[in-house]
Amino acid sequence: MKLYLGELEELVLLTVATLGDHAYGVSIQQEIESRCNREISIGALHSTISRLEDKGFLKSWLGGATAERGGRSKRFFELTPSGKKALNETKSLRDELWRLSQLKWSGAK
Amino acid sequence: MNPQPPKLARQFFDWYCGHAPVDDLAGDLEELFLLRVAQKGIFQAKLFYWKAVFSLLFSYAIRRRKKARKLSYKPAFGLWGNYLKVAIRNLYQYKYFSLLNAFGLAIGMSVSLLLISMYSYISTYDDFHEHGEDIYSITTTRTEGIETIDYASAPLAVADKINTEFGGAAEVIRIYNSFVGEVVFERENIPIRGYYVEPDFLETFTFPLLHGDPSALSQPNRIVVTESTARKLFNSTEVVGKLMELKNQGLFEISGVMRDYPKNTHFRFEALVSFSTLPTHFISETERWTQYQNQFVYVRLNQQADPQLLQEYLTALADQSTYQSDIKVRYAVQPLDEIVTAENYNGIGPKWEISGFIVFGIIALLILLPACFNYTNISIARALKRSKEIGLRKTLGGLRQQIFIQFLTETVVITLVALVGALGIFLLIRTEFQSMMVEAATLDLGITLKTALLFLIFAVFTGLIAGGLPALHFARLNPIQALRSKVSNSIFSTLGIRKGLTIFQFALSFCFVLSLVVFGRQYNTLLHFDFGFRKDNLITVDLRNTNPELVRSEFSKLPGVQSVSLSSGTPALSNSRIWVHDPAGDSLEVTQLFIDENFIADFNLKVVRGQANPPVEKNERYVLVNEQFLEATNISPEEALGKTCRVEGNELVIQGVIRNFHFAPPQVPIGNFIFRFNPDHFTQANLLVNSTDAFTLFTALEKTWKELGDNLPLQAQFLDAALQDSFLVYRYLLKMAGFLGLLALSVSLLGLLGMVVYTSELRLKEVSVRKVLGADAWSMTYLLSKDYLKLLTWAILLGIALSLFIYQTIFTRIPDYQTHLTVWDVLIGCVLLLGLGLLTIATQTYKAAKTNPAEILKME
Repeated sequence: MKLYLGELEELVLLTVATLGDHAYGVSIQQEIESRCNREISIGALHSTISRLEDKGFLKSWLGGATAERGGRSKRFFELTPSGKKALNETKSLRDELWRLSQLKWSGAK
Repeated sequence: MNPQPPKLARQFFDWYCGHAPVDDLAGDLEELFLLRVAQKGIFQAKLFYWKAVFSLLFSYAIRRRKKARKLSYKPAFGLWGNYLKVAIRNLYQYKYFSLLNAFGLAIGMSVSLLLISMYSYISTYDDFHEHGEDIYSITTTRTEGIETIDYASAPLAVADKINTEFGGAAEVIRIYNSFVGEVVFERENIPIRGYYVEPDFLETFTFPLLHGDPSALSQPNRIVVTESTARKLFNSTEVVGKLMELKNQGLFEISGVMRDYPKNTHFRFEALVSFSTLPTHFISETERWTQYQNQFVYVRLNQQADPQLLQEYLTALADQSTYQSDIKVRYAVQPLDEIVTAENYNGIGPKWEISGFIVFGIIALLILLPACFNYTNISIARALKRSKEIGLRKTLGGLRQQIFIQFLTETVVITLVALVGALGIFLLIRTEFQSMMVEAATLDLGITLKTALLFLIFAVFTGLIAGGLPALHFARLNPIQALRSKVSNSIFSTLGIRKGLTIFQFALSFCFVLSLVVFGRQYNTLLHFDFGFRKDNLITVDLRNTNPELVRSEFSKLPGVQSVSLSSGTPALSNSRIWVHDPAGDSLEVTQLFIDENFIADFNLKVVRGQANPPVEKNERYVLVNEQFLEATNISPEEALGKTCRVEGNELVIQGVIRNFHFAPPQVPIGNFIFRFNPDHFTQANLLVNSTDAFTLFTALEKTWKELGDNLPLQAQFLDAALQDSFLVYRYLLKMAGFLGLLALSVSLLGLLGMVVYTSELRLKEVSVRKVLGADAWSMTYLLSKDYLKLLTWAILLGIALSLFIYQTIFTRIPDYQTHLTVWDVLIGCVLLLGLGLLTIATQTYKAAKTNPAEILKME
């Protein structure tokens, strides 16, 4: 079965990829907030992350305890190969559509 | 100090997530909170925190983790298996204590098993009737002055009224339970008894017929017999249509053979006779309302009818139909399944009053609770030994409830082991116990699936009670203190309660021991009780419709028989009461016995005044009275002779005065008594014999009886044997007290043993050091035993007080009770209890005191 990526899912996956070794709940949220100017509740974020884990696009591991979090550990996320593949497929599908469309890409400044 | 997120929200979050791994989420929440505090201040941050918590609660993230947790929790069953394994290993490791505990609990539970099996059987009474739920019996409460009596029966007239006036009844069954007959056979007549019932009886109650049809009882002189009665009478069950002759009652046609009914019904009969056999006016019109004896009314209501309606009708009925104004009568509806346990008189069959169960239950608890308590006591006391294990478990992440369950499992396992032991004791005492019960034949204490299940539940329940407290105690241990072998002081704060309970246990045992001594003496006294008449060398023979004069003359001829007298009963065993008018004309209740002229001499009764051989004749003229009679009527013995008293319309002349003797059982005080000389009432012959060869004598008796007897077997027995049998209840009480005392005492001693073994072990080091410093074994034994000696002394003091109280409140209420509590009884009890207690303590403490100090101290 082909797994589709939702818009938020794609955003989260890309953010995780962007953050590299520092992708955990709060950092992902802050990143999305600052980059997209989009408020996303921690609940909604973790729901999406959980779904992505279900789909096998993300994997996670527990980090060590940290002082500023009341001694609680962080759970770090990382893209799996299939997660990367799904992002690639989404991008190529978009590119294809862009190419075929009458729109003109105005490019990033 | 950093600002803290709202505590409540965090707790709520933790609670909601349970055991799901959400540490990282909580961390995220906290981090965000701190960020917010920095940006917008504490209040906003708190608000935000709440919002975030809720957003998480409803998120898929938590749902997913909880689900995953649940799936991974699957080996939870494995955890139970682990509890079990650890429990068994622990019990095995401490074999001695496990055995001690199991044994104590087994003893404690055995009596309860009896109670449970009994109650579970009683609760099945009459549950096999198809219409059982709709069947009610009518009971009567009769109040005359301040005396209120509850009867299980009701006047038959009530049945007629319900039939005609009350609409909701499907069937109304009248039962007259005094059918007694003698089936005539050539060789020997066979008595049968049963009920007169209406034809519908067989349909209302589920008593299926083997042969014959349900309308079997629709006509007069029809009889339905049970399978076993048919076998007894004719050796066959194919007897429908057969005619049988009942002596003095005519011919009856057997119209049905009923399958034998199960034991668990409140009916008891051998035969059912059609109600129409009774003459229409077998009781008078007024008696139909005022007579309760032997008459029973059962109503089967229409399905789903409300019994309340019938109750209302009966209340109204009682109000309008009062025949005697000073007597108040109330009728009540009683469901079929409550009949057997109801508290009332005059029941149609066996009765198992609920109050009996309550008393029995209390006794069972008195045995069970000390056993449970011993377990609790020993377990908590041994906390020190186990505290390291618990501390380690807790440090490694053992949760409080896990440790709690661990210890409960241990207890439940031990109670299950104890159940096996208890079952053994139960099987051992079952028959004996049943033989002591009056209604034993109606009880089946076999183990069914239901009782087995109840036993199991009971064992687990006992385990929970006994193990709850120690489990809670262990679960709450502080791991740090536990690992440092510092047992918290909370155990020792309960020391007072523990001591108190131990004392109470021993006091209880003391009471049992004491009652054993008292019952024993009472029984012994009764066996040698001087009734005031001859008991030995007398044989009583039931006359059973033979000609008394003929019996007397024939029996007199037998070798070894000195003399034969006739009477209406045996003194001390049977007597009838009657109201007479004394010489002054006042009415007086007296006990009477009809005798002939040989009786006084044969029974060795003393005649104080006058003569004792008036003529025996149908229109009697003379009477003998006892001294008590004269005292009650204020006549001096000198002037008594020649006075008359009116008995049943006849003026009888007092011909002699008899010295007081016990005409009733010893516990009944000597009351007014008269001897009468009417030959119509003779029912037994009393043979004064001098033969020592009882066998030859009885063979001769049998032979003579065959010639005289009215086709019925000979019923003869020695008077002293019959009297002994009448004291059977005391023997049973003796046995019961002895057995219960044994149980209570064993439980207490086991508890004591456990405690002594434990404390001696605990103080081994102290003992060793003392010994090294020069103490000898005996002083050490004393040191270790001292505390327990004190406990025993207190227990005995309490026991004496308790038994004195029991004696004062119960025994003194039994009139003319022969035995009194003496100093000797108390002393015997003390010596027994102290002896056993000391033996238990000393063996263990001496063993501890004798150990080689080098063995103990070499590791130090």
